[in-house]
Amino acid sequence: MSPVPILSCEHLTKSFQHALVPVRHIQERIILPHRRKRVWVTKAVDDVSLTLQRGEWIGIYGPNGCGKTTLLRMLAGLLPPDAGAVQSHADLSCFFELSVGFHEERTAIENVRMHAMLQGVARKDIDAILESVRAFAGIADHWDLPLKCYSTGMRLRLGFAVTMASPADILLLDEILAVGDVDFQKKCRMRLMDLKVSGRSALVVSHSLADLEAMCDRVLFMERGRIVCERGASVPLS
Amino acid sequence: MLKSRYTFLQMTRIVWAVGWSDFTLKYRGSILGYLWSLLAPLAKFLVIYYVFKPLVGGEIAQYPLYLFLGIIMWEHFTVTTTHCMTALKEKQAFFLKIPFPRMLIMLIVGWTNMIIFLTHFLIFVVFVLAMGGSPWMPWLYLPILLLQMTLFALGVGMLLASYCLKYRDIQHLWGILSQVLFWLTPITYVYRLDAPISTQWGRFLELLHHPTLHTTFDLFVQFQPLSILIYDMRRVTLYAATQAFPSLPHILGVTAVLVALFALAARVYHYRSQYFIEEY
Repeated sequence: MSPVPILSCEHLTKSFQHALVPVRHIQERIILPHRRKRVWVTKAVDDVSLTLQRGEWIGIYGPNGCGKTTLLRMLAGLLPPDAGAVQSHADLSCFFELSVGFHEERTAIENVRMHAMLQGVARKDIDAILESVRAFAGIADHWDLPLKCYSTGMRLRLGFAVTMASPADILLLDEILAVGDVDFQKKCRMRLMDLKVSGRSALVVSHSLADLEAMCDRVLFMERGRIVCERGASVPLS
Repeated sequence: MLKSRYTFLQMTRIVWAVGWSDFTLKYRGSILGYLWSLLAPLAKFLVIYYVFKPLVGGEIAQYPLYLFLGIIMWEHFTVTTTHCMTALKEKQAFFLKIPFPRMLIMLIVGWTNMIIFLTHFLIFVVFVLAMGGSPWMPWLYLPILLLQMTLFALGVGMLLASYCLKYRDIQHLWGILSQVLFWLTPITYVYRLDAPISTQWGRFLELLHHPTLHTTFDLFVQFQPLSILIYDMRRVTLYAATQAFPSLPHILGVTAVLVALFALAARVYHYRSQYFIEEY
């Protein structure tokens, strides 16, 4: 019997509908009563099913607009699907942008604390996270300064360190690998491998196929909202 | 699964910490800082006092304090309800990227604005003492009244926030409605509740028999929640020696209505919040 997946979804489908500009105002309705409102509809994710086993890392690769981020958002519970269902059996953290929610006027320690709280990290774990972030980000001399004193690279390093410090069992990572200089990118990749070795599970979205193949057990290729093929250690490119 | 990470204690801690943080950061970078939150009610107070003192000042004991308390309670209501809508934009990044209980944002708004109200209320207490008022107040009533104010402001604010992204007219409409509501709330003029609300339902029949604009406005001013909240706060803080305190059935009745409003609004907001990402 195959083990119960830590995260799975079945037949996920999501469409978006947007009114085209100009939106019909009441004055337009009176002056042009026969003009019909036009809407733009797109199916972002179309009947996607997948399972993530404990300790497994899955990469999702595809061109812009193929539905990768929408899929991740539905898995994270940020978007309700039109059809299908998501089942999760562990804590989950998602990262769609490094340093989300950071405030310019707050110091690193305040921002990290706030970020961890909003991610639902328990109080007792926050001090450990602070130490881990401080050690990893390499910004010790800026630690007590407000974020507005940081360079862009330092902010991203701080953001990455916070992201990686999350104690959740499942990580949903969207394009978070292009961070800082070459040395720091190496450090990031090593950190991700450490997380993998420690037994975490992850879904990683990236435009770098080489990165996905290096760190993931299998890579799903998406196109026009569908998973069109899969490549992995045990599954050859179909 | 996700909800289990956000225990009641955890959520309380987030609301407390983020609310304080938002309060301290709100005016950072401006020259006057916190004083900005005081200038709006103070300017309103000075103008209205100058205009209305000759008209109603003789009928109302301690009119400056009566007016000041009404204005700061009104400011709390209107700033909180508007903030509930603007918070969706301010915290857009959180809504788009972090799966957390959306209700937290509304509770943070409520707490931040309650902190500001408490600072205004402290100034009101200083004025009471400076004008020879008694330092003794039935303090036991205050937490209940503050709770009622928060339930009402957040209840209305959440209903507005639930639909303000879908219908962008709501924020403009609320700007106009709140100006109308200001004059339909007994902030500047005399208000008394001479008999228990429960015994006055018959007055609504008047509206059926004589559906005039005057009767409608009269009943609205008499029974709308803000009128009752401001009246209760005034008789507890200003007229404790001369007027009866709010009775237990009155407090329980008002609280029950406001809890019901809050619960309904929370349910609507919870349902609608799952579509916010698509409506940004």
